[in-house]
Amino acid sequence: MSPDTKVRNGASGASALLPRVNDQLESWTQRLVRGSGAHRGAGRMVVALLIAFALFTALNPRVFLSPINLQNIAVAAPEIGIISIAMMLVMLTGGIDLSLVAIANFSAITISMLHNTIAASDPALANSLGIVIVLAGIVVGMLGGAVNGFLVSVVGITPILATLATMQIYNGMAIVWTGGTTLYGAPQLLATIGQTAVANAPLLFIIFLAVAVLIAILVNRTALGRMIQLEGANPVAARYSAIPRRAVLMKTYTYGGMLAGLAGVLFLARNPTASADYGASYVLLVIVIAVLGGTNPTGGFASVTGVVLATLTLQVVSSGFTAIRLSSYEYAIAQGVILIAVMILDAVSSTRARRQKKVASAPRSDVPTPETALPRA
Amino acid sequence: MSSDTVSLVPSPVVSANGIFKSFGGVPALVDVSIDLIPGEVHCLAGENGCGKSTLIKIISGVERPDSGEILIDGVSHSHINANAAIKSGIQVIYQDFSLFPNLTVAENIVLTAEVARRRRLYSPASVRPKAEEILRDLGLDLDLDREVSELSVADKQLTAICRALVNDARAIIMDEPTTALTHSEVSRLFALVERLRARGVALMFVSHKLEEVLAISQRLTIMRSGRQIVTGPTTDFDERSISHYMTGREVDESRVVSELDATAPLALELVDLSLAGAYRNISFGLRRGEILGVTGLLGSGRTEIAESLFGVTPADEGQIKVNGAPVRIRSIQDAVSAGIGYVPEDRLSQGLFLEKSIADNIVASSLRSHRTRWGTLSRDAIASTIKHYFHGLKINARNAQAPVRTLSGGNAQRVVLAKWLATSPTVLLLNGPTVGVDVGSKQEILELLRVEAAKGMSVIVISDDAPELVSSCHRVLVIKQGRLTHILEGDEITVDTIQERMSA
Ligand SMILES: Nc1ncnc2c1ncn2[C@@H]1O[C@H](COP(=O)(O)OP(=O)(O)OP(=O)(O)O)[C@@H](O)[C@H]1O
Ligand SMILES: [Mg+2]
Repeated sequence: MSPDTKVRNGASGASALLPRVNDQLESWTQRLVRGSGAHRGAGRMVVALLIAFALFTALNPRVFLSPINLQNIAVAAPEIGIISIAMMLVMLTGGIDLSLVAIANFSAITISMLHNTIAASDPALANSLGIVIVLAGIVVGMLGGAVNGFLVSVVGITPILATLATMQIYNGMAIVWTGGTTLYGAPQLLATIGQTAVANAPLLFIIFLAVAVLIAILVNRTALGRMIQLEGANPVAARYSAIPRRAVLMKTYTYGGMLAGLAGVLFLARNPTASADYGASYVLLVIVIAVLGGTNPTGGFASVTGVVLATLTLQVVSSGFTAIRLSSYEYAIAQGVILIAVMILDAVSSTRARRQKKVASAPRSDVPTPETALPRA
Repeated sequence: MSSDTVSLVPSPVVSANGIFKSFGGVPALVDVSIDLIPGEVHCLAGENGCGKSTLIKIISGVERPDSGEILIDGVSHSHINANAAIKSGIQVIYQDFSLFPNLTVAENIVLTAEVARRRRLYSPASVRPKAEEILRDLGLDLDLDREVSELSVADKQLTAICRALVNDARAIIMDEPTTALTHSEVSRLFALVERLRARGVALMFVSHKLEEVLAISQRLTIMRSGRQIVTGPTTDFDERSISHYMTGREVDESRVVSELDATAPLALELVDLSLAGAYRNISFGLRRGEILGVTGLLGSGRTEIAESLFGVTPADEGQIKVNGAPVRIRSIQDAVSAGIGYVPEDRLSQGLFLEKSIADNIVASSLRSHRTRWGTLSRDAIASTIKHYFHGLKINARNAQAPVRTLSGGNAQRVVLAKWLATSPTVLLLNGPTVGVDVGSKQEILELLRVEAAKGMSVIVISDDAPELVSSCHRVLVIKQGRLTHILEGDEITVDTIQERMSA
């Protein structure tokens, strides 16, 4: 899928026409790939998703292809997917946010607590205030993210350490607040969201896709999104380009927290219980997903499409493992293996691309002018 | 290659023979052959992007040629790897220096040699004497214990030079080693090159400064668009013929300055600007449409003045006025909102997002002015800006989506320039605007500045390239030890006066 794979055509370019055609083709494919918002990460994840799907279909078609199982994938993927997108966003600046899952839990706990407290005196009021309570959860998420943003951008603490600390703090606060117990209860609104489906697609899944589209627009089509990418690509040059580092980081972590808060809402929509230790395995899982989806761990490059596909792939593997009766420990092993396999594939394909360039040796009589190659948007 | 011409010429240490190389189908080198002979400096000249660095990387084993061979001591290799090249005594000063930013100067100078020798243990004490010796040889004053990332470009360049020289190399290849250096360091480097030559080292030298090429080399190869146009003894060439071979046309370096309207308002005014340890009481005014040169030796304070104006290291005292109104510049954002742009000296780390595309780089500083009314980026507006500068600045790349990393040095410089022109600043500061830019393109960039100035932009060119200042500046300020010592105007602006005032 990478534009590099087309270069071989250039080899035969004895006439002046062929190279032109080649350049034109290349700029078209590049535009196509760009237009779909898909980069390297997306291409390889389409393949990985298809392989995973085919594999489990072959191994146990009866269970794996059952409507219940497919439904489960579509309902479980959104919460992980949204946290992964949040992770992608902060990784795009060259940072990381370990506190995202803790924030999501904190948001869920806030909602459950508020709901239960109000419902204790007036259950009808609690349900009519549902939307306000849910928003409160998301606002708590934003605050959690803003604290991270402050520590990273203003105080200047390394992201991994700052968010490790806040992860412990948010987690600890949640345990103290709940007394370590699991809370039951959430606004009726959330149960409705959790059970609604539009044309067979669970509403949760539609929310996930909508979030993905919005974040893709943010990243690719807004000034802030470009600044986030540039900050991650080269912080020094970003500074010299007058990119407001503090504001950019502050906003990125706040958006990340907001998405985590939303994920907390989805936790409750799936299952009206909240506890401080929910989804402990997600912390590393979302990093794996972000990287599989093509996020450069040092910043500057990422693909929302890639992250969505990576989420689905891992969810398929997870439910496939259940279908063939493997445990969550074996699933953990699989996550690691997939990560390494994809990284190896990556390394192999980039050396191959380099070799292919070697093949294209026959010189051309003309150097193409930029006019022939500049994609007209 | 020349075994039948039995003569007094010693056989080459390294030669490249019939080298072809292309990147993604675009040829970068077409049938290039070159010999490095002991005791000879072989210069490589040609426009930006003609393939000089690519040839060097092939000789040093960093890139593989598509076809052709490299001969070391007459033994043919279809390609060699970088380690083998170092072991056979080939040392390279790369254009981007290729230093380890988090190691100290001393470690950078000595470490590659130690690694190539497969030393397992490394003792800091043992490396110092070698590093000190080379500094003495070059008469340099570098702090061996500083981390490379903290150094100025010139000091980085000197570190890279020392690293190549410290090893007892038999062939030394220097890819634009003098871009950031001033006259005095260049002459010391050249003195050392003469000593190496006398010792029988084979040298290759790349520079866009033609007077350096003529001064240092015995043999000259000129390339154009990946092809070898001519190779011959340097005595057969002069500046005119070199630039003619390079560009295929006449290059006019003469002084072209517009008549400046004496009543034009001041775009920028500095009143008693001071920064402790850098410069003191700097006052001058810059008219609308004026191109002002600022020159001085390394460490004279010229770069610090520019960086204060751009908010990198704000001044302690004094006042800055833009269009007559006092402005407070405490940060880069302040400077940019006051209408000041800055093309930095260190384009690789400060100016460019190397992994990002040319297009992304061009709009990096002007994103906010490319918004639609819904606050999203306007693709049309961005596309037209990119098109405008990509063509206007004749950036030589396949298309604007290519990563900047794949550009030649001079083309990368144009991208930085494009980024700032796209912000339409009131005042544009340029620190070494044509460093590493070929003679033809240099005039094109200067012409571009003239055009922008004629449209009302005020320009400050910080440079020690006297011909460039002469060719484009209305006035030239000379900074010495942090003070503004001379203001040259009109007929006073000649290469000789500038060089004399700078060092006097
Ligand atoms: N890794 C790469 N990928 C694609 N193209 C490349 C790559 N490296 C170099 N090129 C292209 O090869 C050509 C030759 O580049 P090279 O760096 O050798 O030029 P140069 O003569 O050293 O120029 P300068 O004087 O500006 O340094 C240029 O057109 C450049 O864009
Ligand atoms: Mg070069």
